[in-house]
Amino acid sequence: MDFYLGLVQIIGVHTLLGLSAYCVLLTGQVSLAQAGFFAIGAYVAGMLTVLAGWPIVPALLVAAIVAGAMACAVGFPALRVKGLMLVVATVAFGEAVRLFFFNFNYQLERGGFHLGPHGGEGFRQIRYFPEHGWSTLEVMLFIWLVVVLVMAALWWMDHSRAGATFRAVGEDELAAQSSGINITAVKVSAMTIGGVIAGVGGGLFAHYTTHIEHVQFGVVLATFAVAYPILGGLSNVFGTLIAVIFIQGFLIEGLRFMGDWRNLLFGGLIVLAMNVRPRGLIDAGTVAAIRRFVLRCLGKGKERAGA
Amino acid sequence: MLKRIAVLAALGTVALAFSTPVSAQERTVKITGFGAKSGVVRIFGVNSEAALKAAAEVINSSGGVTLGDGSKAKFAIEFLDDRCNAEEGISVARRIASTDAFVAVGPTCSNVAESLFGVLQKKAGDASDTGLQFPIIADVAAKGGLAKISEWAFRNVPSEFDMYKSLFAWLKTQHPDLKTIYGGVEKDFAHSNATFGVMKAQAEANGLQVLGQGEWLLADTTFSTQVREMRRANADIVAISAHPFTTCGVLKEMERQGVRPKLLIGLTSSSSIETMQGCAKQAEGIIIPTSFAPVTPEATKAAENVAKHGGSADLHSAAAYEIMFILKDVIEKQKIMAKPDTVAADRVKMREGLAALKETMGLLGKVGRADREAIKPFLYVHAKGGSWVVLHKPAS
Amino acid sequence: MDYLDFIDAVQSLADGVLFGTTYALLGIGFTLIFGVMHKINLSYAAASIGAAYASLLVLAVMKAPPALVFLVAAAAGGVIGGVVYLIGFRFIPLANPLATLMSTVGLLLLIDEIIVHTTQGVPLNYPALFSDVIIRAGPFTLRGDLMFVFLIGCTCMAVLLTLLYRTRLGIATRAVSQQPTAAQLCGISVDNVNVLTFVITGVVGGIAGAMIGAAIGMLSPLLSLPLTVKGLVVTVIGGLGSIPGAIIAGLLVGGLENVFQFFRGVSERDLYIMLLLFVFLVFRPGGIFAAAPGRD
Repeated sequence: MDFYLGLVQIIGVHTLLGLSAYCVLLTGQVSLAQAGFFAIGAYVAGMLTVLAGWPIVPALLVAAIVAGAMACAVGFPALRVKGLMLVVATVAFGEAVRLFFFNFNYQLERGGFHLGPHGGEGFRQIRYFPEHGWSTLEVMLFIWLVVVLVMAALWWMDHSRAGATFRAVGEDELAAQSSGINITAVKVSAMTIGGVIAGVGGGLFAHYTTHIEHVQFGVVLATFAVAYPILGGLSNVFGTLIAVIFIQGFLIEGLRFMGDWRNLLFGGLIVLAMNVRPRGLIDAGTVAAIRRFVLRCLGKGKERAGA
Repeated sequence: MLKRIAVLAALGTVALAFSTPVSAQERTVKITGFGAKSGVVRIFGVNSEAALKAAAEVINSSGGVTLGDGSKAKFAIEFLDDRCNAEEGISVARRIASTDAFVAVGPTCSNVAESLFGVLQKKAGDASDTGLQFPIIADVAAKGGLAKISEWAFRNVPSEFDMYKSLFAWLKTQHPDLKTIYGGVEKDFAHSNATFGVMKAQAEANGLQVLGQGEWLLADTTFSTQVREMRRANADIVAISAHPFTTCGVLKEMERQGVRPKLLIGLTSSSSIETMQGCAKQAEGIIIPTSFAPVTPEATKAAENVAKHGGSADLHSAAAYEIMFILKDVIEKQKIMAKPDTVAADRVKMREGLAALKETMGLLGKVGRADREAIKPFLYVHAKGGSWVVLHKPAS
Repeated sequence: MDYLDFIDAVQSLADGVLFGTTYALLGIGFTLIFGVMHKINLSYAAASIGAAYASLLVLAVMKAPPALVFLVAAAAGGVIGGVVYLIGFRFIPLANPLATLMSTVGLLLLIDEIIVHTTQGVPLNYPALFSDVIIRAGPFTLRGDLMFVFLIGCTCMAVLLTLLYRTRLGIATRAVSQQPTAAQLCGISVDNVNVLTFVITGVVGGIAGAMIGAAIGMLSPLLSLPLTVKGLVVTVIGGLGSIPGAIIAGLLVGGLENVFQFFRGVSERDLYIMLLLFVFLVFRPGGIFAAAPGRD
């Protein structure tokens, strides 16, 4: 049971990572910097609970704010460029953050041990959850509470004017600008929201792995972050969730029985998925089909009840 | 017609007779190892798996392990890939813990061990700590001090502190004329970075003057700047704390620039076939302390067995090999029952058994145990003619 | 900074520039594909290393001279390039750049895993020519094998530029990159041009992989990710779609990398490369030689 709860925890945190990239992707920009904001959230939240003794919720909030602020600051210069150049600029930023933490040393003495980020060796003993008696189930529920809140917020935003504005910028910048939308403001806000979500995700990540180091927050994690929304489809937040379940649940854990072949299938299945469903696993067409199906079921029910 | 039925019935009975197991008491105890079988560290996982299987075969062929109720069981080995990723390592350990397993062997990567040991219950029996209660014994993760993280974490890895302390002291007696040393370190890998600190400290403790250090990253490809400074320093000894890829890169650059120190010292992990495959010529003479070499009959047999199972025996996989015998020992001493309804009790017994061990039998001799870590006998090897040859076996 | 330090700095720069030829070759590959298809192929560096690994198969069969190994690497690169086009680009509609981005990520992972599975992740020796030749020019030394890599790189670039600007295939490629619809109307098969572009860049990539292997003396799966990042940085600094830009940027990044390392050490080196990229993006987003603006 513990194993499944742990897996659901991982899916939750990766969904947050994916949603942070989803936010930026809505405005048509591919950002490979989300791993950097994830790292900032992880280190800040870890330092607050371990070194300053804060409880988890305020620590996560501060981590989210710091990551969001960083995203806003980076957004202004980075979003002057588009397309591939933004991809490379965000890769560069993500790597710069990782290298910063590679060199970051801040240790304090706590209870006879030296705790805190220790450069290349990382930051160990972030044990807030086990030390305060949280069971695996409770951690999982906490993570998913955050995920549900974030998904609900994004869903609501998507169905509001803000969402329409984001997507308008994503579909055609020129047309959006001609309609009077301030593109820079939209793109930077999307980046900031993405940064906030990544910060929370990073804070949770630090606490359930209990040890973080710079290597974890590299290009690979950044690529996974954009892979989830692209694979899942950009029409709604559930696409990202399905993609995370597909990759973490099916590809990584489910295919374990295949032994060595699992890793080869990993890349192969992603290529196949993109060829077969280029707009993502859940694209606009699928959503429409599901909606039609549900309406038909409800309609049939009404017919039976009525007739 | 009747004849046909009779023949078929006879055949059926014979088949049934042969299919009934001869020993109805045959039981299997599954031991799951986990480690990296992907990426550049794949070779470690492959070797560990082969070593576990080889050791299991040896134990099984001499009767197997005796369980708490007196029955004999055979070991079955499974090996899971954690891709050197902390999250996946925790997931794999939880997966193993959700089965009837009472112990797991791994991981390969020190960063996975850091996270995984952090998830375990810190103090055994602490009711306020909801960490995982599952004993894990590491075969390869070699970064210093990891077993301290949790009382459920054990390791069978050599102490680099002891090995380099002994090596530098011995070198001082053998070469009292050598006075200066220049270092080289792979900075972004925790293991090589930490070990370099040990090398430097021990060099200074033995009166050597550290003239400087060259630094590079794990995936670097050019070392001309670092080696040029090395050449200028012109030290007697050069100590390189890096894995085979960059060690070979640096050694090749040293050959190009004509840097020929009187002594070369390397990192424990580089005393493997990787270095020989990459730069046998340039690595000629490099001295590395190691906790495995086929110098005893047990070690030689182990090396052959591991090779039979598709791996190669080096200090890392030898640790996995030894672990199987340690587990057999603890299972028998603690009378572990290995039944589905005794899982929790078996895990506690395994933990207590491992914690109570004062010494175990290693492939090179007795291995002491303290604080859940191993105090392994070691020797120094050096590269000669494309293979690792024993240079000196220090008296323990 | 005294005289010795100055010599060392110039030497570091020289070594870096020579090694930078390999970055230039990778940058050319990235930029060509972007120029023609307006898509990015993230698996390019991994495919180049893969081609170098494939060329080692020749050595497993017979004792071949290094030149043959390099040629096999080039050929293997071309084949891999064609396969990458087929499974990563051919069947994905043009209007989905994100899908091709992801499919090339999948290909990167796939190629990396194939390499790791066949070699167990262990670094392998790679043949080099002139590896024991050292040219001394005053207080400076120039590595013979790096000079050879530089020469091959330059030859490759010259051949490529000739191909693009003096042959019909080159005209067709440039036509498709500028105006695919008009090119099609002129009877140029866009599909064929795309395949050929991938095959040609694959050959360039194979040569780059072989040269990287020759310059380092070894191949390791560790190489693919850092080379991908550096290749992208070079492409952007050089200007998307500009081959001369990729060449200059490659040499620039190679040289500056070593210079940054000389002055500030290895932990901060990559940080400065990233900052350099940022500076370019802010002040000169088009790169060194911004490509001629197309219809957009």
